Amino acid sequence: MKSPAAGRVLLVFAVSALASLLLLSATVETAVRPPKFDYELHTLDNGLTVVLSEDHSTPIVRSELVYHVGSKNEAPGRTGFAHLFEHLMFKGSRNVLSDSHLTLISRVGGDGNAYTTEDSTTYVETVPAQYLPLILWLEADRMATLRIDKETFESERLVVKEERRWRYEDTPFGLLSEIMYDQAYSVHPYKHTPIGTMADLEAASVDDVQEFFDTYYVPENATLVLVGDFESSEALALVKHYFDRVPKAAKPVPRAIPREPLQTGERRINLTQSQNWPLPAVIVAYHITYDGHPDAYPLHIAVKVLSDGQSSRIFRRLIYDDQLAVSAFGQGTIIDDPNLFYAVSVVQPGRTAEESEKALIEELDRLKTDFISDTELQQAKNQFARDYVFTRATVEQKASHLSHAAVIHDDITTADAEFDIFMNITKEDVQRVAQTYFTKENRLVLTIAPPAPAGRSFLQPGDEE
Amino acid sequence: MTGRWAAGAAVVLALGCVTASAQQPLDWPRESPPPPLPARQVTFPPYELRTLPNGLQVVVVMHHEQPAVNLRLMIGAGAASDPVGKKGVAALAGQLLDQGTANRSATDVAEAIDYVGGVLSVGAGTDLSFANVLVMRDSFDFAVDLLAEITRTPSFEQAEIDRQRQQVLSGIQVSMDDPAYLAGVVFSRLVYGDHPYGMPHNGTPQTVLSISRDDLRAFHQTHYAPNNALLAIVGDVDAEEAFASVERVFGDWERRPLPPTPSTQLPAPARRIVVVDKPGSVQTAIRVGHVALPRASPDHLAFDVALKILGGEGGNRLGSVLRTERSLTYAASADVASRRFGGDFMAKTDTRSDATAEVLRLIVEEVARLKRERVGRRELENAQAYLSGSFPLTIETPNAIAAQVLESLLYGLDLGDLPKYPERINAVTVDEIQRVSREYLQPQQLSVVLVGEAATFLDDLAGVGFDDVEVLSVSELGRFLGQGTAQATLESPLLAP
Repeated sequence: MKSPAAGRVLLVFAVSALASLLLLSATVETAVRPPKFDYELHTLDNGLTVVLSEDHSTPIVRSELVYHVGSKNEAPGRTGFAHLFEHLMFKGSRNVLSDSHLTLISRVGGDGNAYTTEDSTTYVETVPAQYLPLILWLEADRMATLRIDKETFESERLVVKEERRWRYEDTPFGLLSEIMYDQAYSVHPYKHTPIGTMADLEAASVDDVQEFFDTYYVPENATLVLVGDFESSEALALVKHYFDRVPKAAKPVPRAIPREPLQTGERRINLTQSQNWPLPAVIVAYHITYDGHPDAYPLHIAVKVLSDGQSSRIFRRLIYDDQLAVSAFGQGTIIDDPNLFYAVSVVQPGRTAEESEKALIEELDRLKTDFISDTELQQAKNQFARDYVFTRATVEQKASHLSHAAVIHDDITTADAEFDIFMNITKEDVQRVAQTYFTKENRLVLTIAPPAPAGRSFLQPGDEE
Repeated sequence: MTGRWAAGAAVVLALGCVTASAQQPLDWPRESPPPPLPARQVTFPPYELRTLPNGLQVVVVMHHEQPAVNLRLMIGAGAASDPVGKKGVAALAGQLLDQGTANRSATDVAEAIDYVGGVLSVGAGTDLSFANVLVMRDSFDFAVDLLAEITRTPSFEQAEIDRQRQQVLSGIQVSMDDPAYLAGVVFSRLVYGDHPYGMPHNGTPQTVLSISRDDLRAFHQTHYAPNNALLAIVGDVDAEEAFASVERVFGDWERRPLPPTPSTQLPAPARRIVVVDKPGSVQTAIRVGHVALPRASPDHLAFDVALKILGGEGGNRLGSVLRTERSLTYAASADVASRRFGGDFMAKTDTRSDATAEVLRLIVEEVARLKRERVGRRELENAQAYLSGSFPLTIETPNAIAAQVLESLLYGLDLGDLPKYPERINAVTVDEIQRVSREYLQPQQLSVVLVGEAATFLDDLAGVGFDDVEVLSVSELGRFLGQGTAQATLESPLLAP
């Protein structure tokens, strides 16, 4: 019963674009405004960024500690390493035994976890409010004194391999993302997804762990966000008590990432996937811009128009009217470095991949040739406002918005300011970005099908298609 | 199947303790975890409950921080109430609620809800059917009207039935490549036998193809009644305004006599192992368990705690044995699934193909050990500390409050127990854990499902105590699900020879 609105909105403007748009904004015609965040921003002497936001509605506290390092920072031949490293952060530090980090949290009724993306690695805890000192102590202990040894490294690597098998290899369409990014990129590390390859996981060594830790797990590369039932002054004193003693980094954090060269001609790829690929899938993908670029917002509107709700263009055309697809959608991945805008169709049995490709490209081209309607524009803004409101209900969601603004945008004010920017996007903006990015030369058309004829079905001959 | 995926989110579930040592160059204090701050008062947030003269029960949970309102209507009948031979009626009827009404076409409904930035979700589970509407505050009246319209007057147009039926069939085809789905449906069939809980909610292609418009209308006519419905209104709305709106759109909904509840007996646990052969798989999905107890059983709470020790947060022996100690899996867990007429417990994990038999042996041993040995007092306290301590995390949102209230109403539980959850958890004793483990666990009568590459592990199973193994190919699954049931008799012309 989970609502599809639960997805986080990740698209926010750069400061300069934001300022200019705010000057232009007159009356914003929208239904309901969400309340603004109340927060404090601090930087400790060792470089740790600290965001504190009080929320006294429930006696709990959420902590997010984000390290600005993800799979795009991995060295060649070490794909999957940032995520493997994330697992090792649960294997003990000076005062914490291996695997007892989460046990200590669960014993006070709390939940802890971590996740790795292309751009960042995030360690989270939610606990009853009185246990704030415990989670700060735990996070500081592993930031300063992670225990690294060969035996633990090798056993945890086996666990990560099981994760890869389970989450991606033995799941229908589980490798779609991996295949798409591998085809779309040539040199930028977005060519691989955070889980990495089995071969690279195998090639990693315990020496890599120490190097990665020393390089990226330093206070100046980290942002701590606390949201919940505390007094900010008291929380700040606790944060300083536990984190001031973490030493400053010995060297600057490297930031150079290989740039992807401009694609200059359409790429068309047809692949056969024999395992866990029940139906053909068609992907039409375009290289776009990074999070913070002024084009990001109109692209997000385009996603809404194409794919949010059953009245959206791709749903209506491919699933409802023409019944070409079992599932179809358009999506923009707008993150640290330029990524992809892509549309996917999982082909309905009895229909062809060519039909889906034609329909997807026509829908994307239509954004270039015609303005979206005023109704569609207003609808997209209403849906955006809804996402904004519905995804700020919990301390977890609030912390997530604040950390994204602070880490990925490097500007915490964007956590609130994106709302007005979005409300001022015009249909001309949407057409402009469609014309900029949705070009044939910039396109990848990828078809991935099971070996013919259609895969393992228990639909019998004579049944409906 | 969901339409989107997130790239690369990774989850960590690690529990248990293993000591290790290494040199630390940094001058860093040796110290124990810090003590907590003073504990805060935890109170179960207020809600209001009223029953309309026609029997509709209405819960209102007010919450004014965000300008949003959520309406959740639940009908007390789901897939378990499907007519014999027509598995999938409740699911298809639920799925069609937003595909056209007496006044609006499917596209009209979609355009209306999308324009206001709302979200509409409909469907059916085992014991219930549902329609949820989320909107921003200023669309509250619209949402109330829409909810009443789609639940009271769905049109079940033939063209829409055909569309949704095709989506169900295609969805089943995709699921045939999903080890988790295959393991789940076979496990239910083994555990529940001919009971309605034994068949997949969506039905099989054969049953789905047999559903007619009349079947859907009859299901709606029979079960969608105010005296079989619960409604929660949650969020930024005034209680009186909410009740008045409900009265306006549901007040004239006529009470109807409800059909008697199905009386099928649950089968007794019986040892059985089925392998679904999926050549080329790199892992095996493992599911182990048997019938346990209904949600309303007075033993439910203690049994749930026992299963947390076996495989849940705050305990998880399976996680310690399979992941922490042996690196055989990414995740292992055990859960109680308790429904209205009965429930089950299930231990589950996924492991690389060549470790299948070893992991199965370890799981069966942990189930047996829970029955055989008293749990340690410390181990129980840790599980209790998690369950009672996390209580404030479970009442954070008004939707979470509403969900707890609705669950209590649906299963006929005492609403007064909700605020007392931590006290009730902490009152469970080691003796009680042993009593329910002995009463409900039967390690010699486990149902086991393995989905994976049979050739890799089949020969190992006898060595871990399972020698009477049934092996199915995916294409034989439809027959397997239908065999021996009333469905099979009715539907035999559609079944492959």
